[in-house]
Parts: sequence; structure tokens; C-alpha cells
Amino acid sequence: MSGLKLRAVHKSYGSVEVIRGVNLDIEPKEFVVFVGPSGCGKSTLLRMIAGLEDISAGEINIGGKRMNEAEPSKRGIAMVFQSYALYPHMSVRDNMGFSLRFAGVAKAEITRRVDEAAKTLGLEALMHRWPKELSGGQRQRVAIGRAIVRKPDVFLFDEPLSNLDAELRVHMRIELARLHKSLAATVIYVTHDQVEAMTLADKIVVMRGGEIAQVGPPLKVFDDPDNMFVAGFIGSPKINFVKATVTQVGKGTISVGLASYNNIKIDFASKSNTLKVGDEVTVGLRPQHFSPKGGLTFKLTVELAEHLGSETFVYAGNATGELLTIATTTGRDLKIGQKFEAHFAPEKALLFDANGNRLR
Amino acid sequence: MNRQLHRIMVYALLSIAAFVSVFPFLWLILGATNISPDILSGKTTPGHALFDNIVKLTQQVDLLQLFYNSTKIAVIATALTLVVASLSGYAFEIFRSKLSDRIFAGLLAMLSIPFAALMIPLFVIMAKLHLINTHTAVIIPTIASIFIIFYFRQATKSFPTELRDAARVDGLKEWQIFLYIYVPVMRSTYAAATIIIFMANWNNYLWPLIVLQTNDTKTITLAVASLLSAYVPDYGVVMVATTLATLPTLFIFFVLQKQFVQGLLGSLK
Repeated sequence: MSGLKLRAVHKSYGSVEVIRGVNLDIEPKEFVVFVGPSGCGKSTLLRMIAGLEDISAGEINIGGKRMNEAEPSKRGIAMVFQSYALYPHMSVRDNMGFSLRFAGVAKAEITRRVDEAAKTLGLEALMHRWPKELSGGQRQRVAIGRAIVRKPDVFLFDEPLSNLDAELRVHMRIELARLHKSLAATVIYVTHDQVEAMTLADKIVVMRGGEIAQVGPPLKVFDDPDNMFVAGFIGSPKINFVKATVTQVGKGTISVGLASYNNIKIDFASKSNTLKVGDEVTVGLRPQHFSPKGGLTFKLTVELAEHLGSETFVYAGNATGELLTIATTTGRDLKIGQKFEAHFAPEKALLFDANGNRLR
Repeated sequence: MNRQLHRIMVYALLSIAAFVSVFPFLWLILGATNISPDILSGKTTPGHALFDNIVKLTQQVDLLQLFYNSTKIAVIATALTLVVASLSGYAFEIFRSKLSDRIFAGLLAMLSIPFAALMIPLFVIMAKLHLINTHTAVIIPTIASIFIIFYFRQATKSFPTELRDAARVDGLKEWQIFLYIYVPVMRSTYAAATIIIFMANWNNYLWPLIVLQTNDTKTITLAVASLLSAYVPDYGVVMVATTLATLPTLFIFFVLQKQFVQGLLGSLK
């Protein structure tokens, strides 16, 4: 299996720059997920790697070879599309063997490879059916099978689960993770669903406005985001951002006060020397990091409680009108209008400067 | 009650529309079995003159030659038009650019030019190419049909771009994508276009009338018209000839009916 290197990759449509100098290393056998909001350029970047879009500048290197000008079929990649893109006039077997037929592979070898992929994906009983006779999940498996038979160096998935219902999506997610393990393949996977990104990825690439906002293992990105965009995009329910003012700047420490919450004081260990007393900053508080006792105390009133069974999402505020989201496993009895105290371990709080960049 | 009344009115209107559409055909077929005076007197029941009318027709025209000429022109023109129009429609939609959009707008504008205005220049061109009185002269001007190019371009909008992407990843070149993916996927569009083009060419009258000058090159449509231009037309014979002339288009329509409807619906999506 091959790795990939992207170096200063740009893409422009006329004067509109949609990919702005992306640099990225992907190791062999790594499962990398491009995640970001609609229009951030993740699908465009994937299509550029596939060779379906020309690149305006930079270099794409797959398996140690420059691939900028190579045809899609010569890049050692296989792609699974959002709409499956199965050829409607061909049976499942013909769909899976089509690329091999065009590559001049012997008929017996095509049959062997197609049968092997069908067995891996449990498609044996569907081989003579037409795409229109398959369910969404079956079509998706055929699309994956079509990719597997090519024995590519890199698998590219473009939002492959977004057309499936919630239950099937979870099922296919597990299947994809298993498949990655059994094929030991390099996978690049595009999604806007951060749950898919967190559960599948070895490495997450969070994108914003055609640039990479942060790269790293899922939990590292969750726990230690580089900026407010990443902190806000990764994590569900969304992180709470609370306005704060710097009250003290010491050697290696910064103290801030949360004006909306009785000037609760939080001390951060930070090497930043750009702040001074009185500066406006933002503090990030993950809903999952609130606890029933210990740490900072927030006196709140329940505005809304969503009981999901295993946990409760509480939307709670105070007299200032600001709302905090709290995820708790002990909130089953909370009612709208009820006053309660939520606690937060200060070492879990994240500090961001006025530009939204993390202060560490 | 209102619903029932509405339903009755709908059926009544549809019945009138069906009668208006079907009656001429019915009358045509009944007329083919009657003699001319009966037809002129408005007789609408089957007669006994069908065989006589057929014999008279075969005595007046070389039916086989006429059918051969019409079929040859319609089949070749249909095939060539399908190739040119589908390739053009595919290219205009898939490789869109400001320039191609302008060229296409120019082509559409040319639809407003009446054929009568093009007849003389076309005739001069054909004469200079020494193609007068040949079937080639009838076929060439019909091949680049702007309407059919427009039809294919609109239909191509419903062709999933991801299929083309998948085919590119599978290693197909552009012409292979067109041949192995686009053509089979768009077969309903081709079927609908086939009917439209075949009918237009089979029924083509004015241009063949100008360029085909001898009996051995003439088409069935010209022959039917010439039967009507006799001093005293035999309407029974005309009806037989017209019935026979209608059969091939009816055959094509019934064979491709399902795809025709799908194709038209697809192009409207």
C-alpha cells in the first residue's frame, strides 16, 4: 500500500481559489478522514487526488511518484462515490468487473477477483441483479466491491454513507472499519459527519475555506484543538464558548474571569506573552466535561432538557441570558425552570485569543 | 358530487380529444376500402374496393421502389442525425464553457430561420456539389438538426456526472465513456429521438420535392402528393397509398413507445 504527499496544492476556478496551499502527509495503511462544513473544499481535494480535477499549483505524490498529470486510472486509486455511481445497464457482476475488462485482465482472473470481493462483502447472492433491484446498503457494498477488485494502493471515499438511513449508516460504518482492517489499505474518506470522522479515522484532517485547519488523531483534535473553528466543529453537542476577560498575567499563567458567570476565575497554564490584563478572550467548555461536583461552580436554570436515555443534554442559562449546553448522565430528573449547579474541571477548559486561535 | 362532475368533464374532454385524433386515421383506413365517389359523399363504413384500390395504386406507381427510397433516406438520415446530435448534445452539456454556451445560443437562434429562406442557398450548394436528384442531397441538410441537438443537450443534464467520473477512474477514455456508458444509459432519449427524426424524414416533403426530379429517386410522400395532383384524383387510391405510407412510422412508434414516453419525460426533468 502507498502513502500520499500533498505539497502546496492549490485549486482555482478563475479568480476564485477553492484550495489554498494544502500540505499533507498520509502514511501507508492509514485511514484519513477529511472533515469540514459544506463548501470547505474537502470533496474538491479528494477529486484532485483522484485526478478528476486538475490542480492549479503544487504537487500530488502517490506511492513516491508525482501524479499531477496522470490519468485517474493510472494513479493506483479506486473511488467510491456518494451516489454509488453504479452503471445502471450492467449487472452487479459486470459493474464489479468492468474496470478490469478495460484494463485487459484475463477473463478467468476477473471472475476470480470479482468472486473474492463478493465473498468479502457478502454479495454472492446478488451478482446477477441490476443496480435498481438493490437497496441503498447493497448498492454501497457493490460500489465498494467495484473498488476492491482493482486492488488499488489508495481507496477514496466521497461521503459514501450520506445517502443511507441512520441505522444502515452505523452498520456500514462498522463494515468499513472491518474492511480497512482486513484490506490493510490506505483510505481517504470525505465526510461532513464528525461522528463518522471520529469513529473511523486514524487521522482527521479538519478543513475550512480551502485550507487545513488542523490535522491529528481524532481524540487529540477533540481534546487539544488549535482554534475555535476546530473546537466548534469537532464534538457533539457543540462546545460552549464563553466570553472572558484577562484578569492577571503571570509567568506561564493567565487568569481570566467569566463576566457572565459571577466572574468565575479560571487559571490557564500558558506560554503566550501576547495578552495583557483587560484583553477580551474566549473560553471553551466542552458539554461532556461538566460534572455533578468539584471544580468551578456554575449556578444555572434549566431552559430545556433533552433526555436521550443514556445521557441528557441540558440547555441552561442564568440572568445574563447566555446558554450553556451540558451533557450529563445524571440529569434524568432535571425539569425546565429548575435551578441547579453544574461543575467544571478547570484543567479541561480551553483558552482562545480574540482571533480564535488557541492559547497554550 | 363535484368530484364526479369534474371526472365526467375530464372524460368528456379526453373523449373529444381522442376522437379528433383517431377519427382521421379511422376514416383513412375506411376510405382505403371505398371508391372515390363514396368517400366524397362522406361514407364512413367499410367498403369492398380495397383490393381494386391496391391494384390501381400498383399500376400507377412503383410501390417497392418508393418504399425503398423512403426507407433508405429515413434510416440513413435517422442514424446520422442520432450520431451528430447526441455527440453535440453531450459535448455542449459536459464540456460547458462560456464559448460553447454562446455557440449553442447562436444555434438556437438559427431555429427561427424558416426553411423557405434556406431552400435556395441549399439548392445552389447541392447543385455545385452535383448532388441534385440524389438521396444524399435529401439526407445532408437534415443531419445537423438543431432541435435534436437541443433535445440531447437537455437530456444530458439528467446524465449523472458521477457515472462519468466512475468511468474515468475505471480507465475509460472520453469516447469510450460516450459509447459504453452514455449511449446505453440514455437509450430512452435515443428511442424518443429516433421516432421524432424518422417521422420527420419519412414525411419530409418540400425539400425532396425540390431536389428529387426523377421517378426512380422519389419518395412515398412525393408519390402520395402526385396522386392528389391528378385532374380527377382517385381518393380510394390516395387513401390506400397514405395508409401504406403511415405504416412504417406507426411500426417504429409502437416498437419504441415505452422508451419514447420515458425519453420525453426524462428530457423534461
